[in-house]
Amino acid sequence: MECLTKTNKKVLMKGNYAIANAAVMAGCECYFGYPITPQSEIGEFMSGKMQELNRAYVSAESELAAINMVIGACSTGAKAMTSSSSCAVALMQEAISYASADELPVVLVSVMRGGPGLGNIYPSQGDYNQATIGGGDGDYQNIVLAPSTVQECIDLTYKAFYLAHKYRNPTILLADGLLGQMMEPVEFGEYPYPEIDNSGWALTGAKGRHGRVIRSYAPLAEDQCVFLNKLFGKYKQIEENETDWEEINTEDADIVVVSFGSPSRNVKSAMKICRKEGLKVGILRPITLWPFPSKRIYELTQSVKKFLVVEVNMGQMLRDVKLAVNGAAPVEFFNRPVGNPPEVDDIVNKIKEIIKE
Amino acid sequence: MIMEKNFVIAGFGGQGVLLAGEVLANAFMLANKYVTWYPCYGAEMRGGTVNCEIVVNDSEDVSAVNKKEADFVIALNQASVDRFISKIKKGGWLIANSSLAKEIRTRADINYLFAPVTKLAENLGNIKMTNILALGLAAKVSKLVSVETLAEALDNVIPAHRKHLLPLNLKALKIGYEYDLLPA
Repeated sequence: MECLTKTNKKVLMKGNYAIANAAVMAGCECYFGYPITPQSEIGEFMSGKMQELNRAYVSAESELAAINMVIGACSTGAKAMTSSSSCAVALMQEAISYASADELPVVLVSVMRGGPGLGNIYPSQGDYNQATIGGGDGDYQNIVLAPSTVQECIDLTYKAFYLAHKYRNPTILLADGLLGQMMEPVEFGEYPYPEIDNSGWALTGAKGRHGRVIRSYAPLAEDQCVFLNKLFGKYKQIEENETDWEEINTEDADIVVVSFGSPSRNVKSAMKICRKEGLKVGILRPITLWPFPSKRIYELTQSVKKFLVVEVNMGQMLRDVKLAVNGAAPVEFFNRPVGNPPEVDDIVNKIKEIIKE
Repeated sequence: MIMEKNFVIAGFGGQGVLLAGEVLANAFMLANKYVTWYPCYGAEMRGGTVNCEIVVNDSEDVSAVNKKEADFVIALNQASVDRFISKIKKGGWLIANSSLAKEIRTRADINYLFAPVTKLAENLGNIKMTNILALGLAAKVSKLVSVETLAEALDNVIPAHRKHLLPLNLKALKIGYEYDLLPA
């Protein structure tokens, strides 16, 4: 797979390669990873391309090592990333908590497969909670971006690097096995974001200035209180500035279907069929899973009669939608536990069933 | 009216099923359609079954995936015919490799094209041309893509170190496309 630095030609590309190529174009200087299906093409692409460009590629001995290498690289201000999948992202949770505390611009691509445990290699959305809540210790928050097409895999990879560095915060691109393996025509525009100046904090050798330390240890309770308040001040800022979602036909909708990632494609088709039959159905697709568009969902309760959440898991984003709606309207759920998204007809039938009730 | 059609290509691992799908998807891209290709991937090995689906539409919009029905099924072996014949839309097409599948028409509401694709590829001198030959048949039957666009797509997909195989692939494409649809 060739690296595409030309920007204005459409190419048919797999999601995993698209993510990897976008990372290269975003200026990623270091990739550390360990292979796992369904995202191994990312590491494969990087193994050739990074060396060619004289950037760093390390095939780490484990996922634990990979994410900690990212921490090391990021502490020097470098653009660094790793990529993995479900049960292996689980191994990285401790380091993600540390990266949050150290305020490091870690970029993690998580291409979800079936879980819990070793699970299987089929697509899934079972790591919504893993990404948005996480399994590390203490109070912390990752930025989480959820693409639904291969083009969006590129656009949001660019954005992941930007937001990670702008806010010095771990940022997760949350895709799934279907998107990783899917091919669609895409275009690579130039990396559209400004470069962030990190000269004020990065560990670059103390020549001509006082030494710096990046650590998450605060032995005095009061110090940790000050730090956490500051950290959460940053999270509030991110919520205000960066919350992003797609919304179609909600103005007059009786029912709004909320879904993210690849299943949202089938939800969109289902909505079109319902609209043709005169049913007032709209959709809301969160693009940032954190910050979650809770405010907007609550606003919609003014006019919307019911919400339907569609996911390929047992109901994880469902909880965030319920929290956002806060009892102001019923929230229904339709899912497939694991695998490809629910079929369009089945979603249409579920919508009709809810409308009748 | 928005046109949306989908193809399933299925066969043994090693028959070039995924590559055929990639060529077809590339051709649709070159024809300025919105197209999505995705494989059914699993813990398979050479000789196991494999399939991919290609969804093409006229609009700028994204396509749904995991479709209940298919407009065209290209089945390169018996197992694929058995598995996918029930998925074909009423009035849709089964394009099957009669070298490796029986010519049995179990449904009256679909169209059939049986062709000895493997044998035709062997006659051409390379059994590996099976997949591209089948694409030629599909192009003729579906009327959704021209043989010229498929040829351009082949050039896109075949990597530099395999370019010497391009002329033979183009021949295979032509043989498939010109295979008599109504043999006596």
